[in-house]
Amino acid sequence: MFSKALFKQSIKAHWIKWLCVTISTCVMLAIVIIVLGNLGINDIRDSLKNVFVQANEESYLKENSVDSYELYLTAISNYNEASSFSSYTSILTNEYNEKVNAYVTENGEQPSDEIKNGYILEIAQKYSAMAGLLQQDPEELKTMIIGLLTYYKNNPELTGEQLFNNFFVYEIYNQAYAQVYEEEINKGSSEEDAVLTAKVQAESAKQVATGAVTKYNEDKQSAGESFNFNVQNYLSVANNFVNEFMADNVYNLKLSEGCDESEAKQFAVSVKVISNTAISTYQLWLNEFKTENSGADLTAEQIATAKGYACESISDQIPQKVAVALTELGEMDMYGLIIGSIFYRIAGLLLPLVFVIMTANGLLAGQVDSGSMAYVLSTPTKRRTVTVTQMAYLICALLTMFLMLTAVSVMAVWIAGGNNFAINYAEILLFNLGAFLTTFAFAGYCFMCSAIFNTTKHSLSIGGGLTIFCLVCTILGLFGSSVVPSAMRIEAMNFFNYLSLITLFDTTAIMNGSISWLWEFGILFAVGVVTFIIGIFRFDKKDLPL
Amino acid sequence: MEEIIKVENLTKDYGSGRGVFNLNFSIKKGEAFGFVGTNGSGKTTTIRHIMGFLKPQSGKCTVMGLDSWKDASEIKKYIEYVPGEIAFPDLPTGTEFIKSQAELLNLTDMTYANYVTKKLQLDTSANLKRMSKGMKQKTAIVAALMCDKDILILDEPTTGLDPLMRISFMELIKEEKKKGKTILMSSQMFNELEEVCDRVALIFNGKIVDIANVNNLKNLDYKTFKVEFNKKEEYLKFKKLKFEIVRDQEKYNQVTVKILNGNINKLFKVLENYDLKFISETKYNLEKYFKEILIQQKGGKNV
Repeated sequence: MFSKALFKQSIKAHWIKWLCVTISTCVMLAIVIIVLGNLGINDIRDSLKNVFVQANEESYLKENSVDSYELYLTAISNYNEASSFSSYTSILTNEYNEKVNAYVTENGEQPSDEIKNGYILEIAQKYSAMAGLLQQDPEELKTMIIGLLTYYKNNPELTGEQLFNNFFVYEIYNQAYAQVYEEEINKGSSEEDAVLTAKVQAESAKQVATGAVTKYNEDKQSAGESFNFNVQNYLSVANNFVNEFMADNVYNLKLSEGCDESEAKQFAVSVKVISNTAISTYQLWLNEFKTENSGADLTAEQIATAKGYACESISDQIPQKVAVALTELGEMDMYGLIIGSIFYRIAGLLLPLVFVIMTANGLLAGQVDSGSMAYVLSTPTKRRTVTVTQMAYLICALLTMFLMLTAVSVMAVWIAGGNNFAINYAEILLFNLGAFLTTFAFAGYCFMCSAIFNTTKHSLSIGGGLTIFCLVCTILGLFGSSVVPSAMRIEAMNFFNYLSLITLFDTTAIMNGSISWLWEFGILFAVGVVTFIIGIFRFDKKDLPL
Repeated sequence: MEEIIKVENLTKDYGSGRGVFNLNFSIKKGEAFGFVGTNGSGKTTTIRHIMGFLKPQSGKCTVMGLDSWKDASEIKKYIEYVPGEIAFPDLPTGTEFIKSQAELLNLTDMTYANYVTKKLQLDTSANLKRMSKGMKQKTAIVAALMCDKDILILDEPTTGLDPLMRISFMELIKEEKKKGKTILMSSQMFNELEEVCDRVALIFNGKIVDIANVNNLKNLDYKTFKVEFNKKEEYLKFKKLKFEIVRDQEKYNQVTVKILNGNINKLFKVLENYDLKFISETKYNLEKYFKEILIQQKGGKNV
């Protein structure tokens, strides 16, 4: 099944080709990894990425500021509306306490939660009938009373105005929490993350609301009887409060992150400026729309537009498509693209594939065509022995070639920075394995063609033709693949990827840590094995013009 | 005698009249068998079948009782083969090639190989690709002969050899024959085959037209002479004598006389009295023999 003499003959016939291909591919690979590694091609990407990260942060900050600003104003005017109700707090709690005490004297024990809820409902029903007196909607009033008393039930130590204030803030907290939680869940965040985000946001809403309530009460106290609430008076107050509030938060955050005080202060100031800009812009646009409306109420659309303008960052100021392109450019992994998609799938494959095409042809069809196969077959060497030996040679040649390539690439990665390099050892090993299996598959195919056809002409055009076709398709397909930034990408070109066997060598999947390469490599290996076997069997049975 | 190579009803139809059709012959031990025929007549196709490179459409070839196709590698233990087309494996020098071939043959004793090399005056150290046609042919012959097996198959082995080389090659073949090797050889040259072979088959359009026994042709019991006279009246006078005239060319005053070996003296005595321009013996050889057969088959048309 194996002829040492023939194997030696094949080595002698093809070693120069092998050496040239191996050396040039190794050199190319080393240059790609080492030189590009030192050039720092990812620096541009990183700085671009920073711009967008900062832009996103800025945008987020501005949004928070405007939201907080709105919340402050809403809270303060809502509180003003509800404050007339605050004097009734004691009446409600007293009535509730009376009912509870009566129960205690009668039964000698605290009423159950259910009974307490019953009392609350009774009281709420009774007082909601007086809604007209307070110029309020009866249902709303009822809900409010139930809420207040339930809050009292759980916090019995609070009384009067304090109870009301706390309840008011508590309600705002709850609303904010519910809203953010829903948003997060809709966005697809996990339950855990949603709860965490909602808690943080609700807490900050609570602080803003507390600030508003405190301010209102202070003002009311100092003005006494002459106090006259107008939300317009609070615009700049809200602005200042939010600026301070955002700055404080950032200051504390930076301190907790380990920044020193002056640095934290610097951050706080810049945040204050950003926040102020956002809110001022927002106010300006609202005023602009108000004059446009000539006194009519602002529409929700107008408010949203104003908010949009206020929250603009760099990324919003450039056209959408450019922004997307730049963002992608920032997120693109240049090493992944150059080493994975361009070197291992195209440039690095080219020479080994040319070697495969030429050698596979030379091992069988070429020798049949020229007639030199007659010398081997006129010795007691079986055809099976010839094919198996030639196959063994082809596989060994590729194996040694890729072992060299693997050694060079691992060394190059080590020189370029080892595990700190953009591509780690595991990935580079998988790249080499994939490239080997790809050439193995093509080797099988070319070998099969070489075994089937008696002339170099046919063997080369059908074996080599399809191989080169695949390579060209991969080159064309690159322009449609997701690794190329959208600015350069032509979606339709992705079609070519479906025509090429090399698509099964998915370097992007390897870089992304997906394990789909397992079955893809399996297919490549199977293609190689099956085509080799077909070739061997076919060669046994055909006529040889020797 | 033992039949070493046997071809039975061998048919391989390549379409449009090409191929070989229903060939039957056998070669006995120690016999030298020749194939002669024009280009594309089927000589090489037959040899490829015997070598087991081609699968017969019907019929079969056997070598030493083994089926050529099924036991293709087994029969090679007995066969030395010089292919018609000379293309060597991709190796640098003739020496490398001979060495590699010896390895494939599991041959360690190179004395006979060296003897053949010397006999053919071959310099094996030359670059294989730059060898002349003749050198390549010699190298191929050395590669085939070095193992000293029982059967020697040569497909047009003398093409490309210069006349001197051809003589030493033919000597070598004769030597091999003397050793008792069974030889199958194809050629386009009748005289070559005549020199070496015991029997020669004429293949025409894929069919064996005739198998001639060369020894019989060489030892005929009659001779033919061509005689030209200077004078017309003498020519006419001679024709009246009772000699068997096989060809008569009146234009040149020429006759071709066929005469039994025992009557030659009688002829010459008669001719003493004539004024002759020339007399020459027309040798009856293989070429003539086959030409006659082909003319007969084609209904008298010249080939």
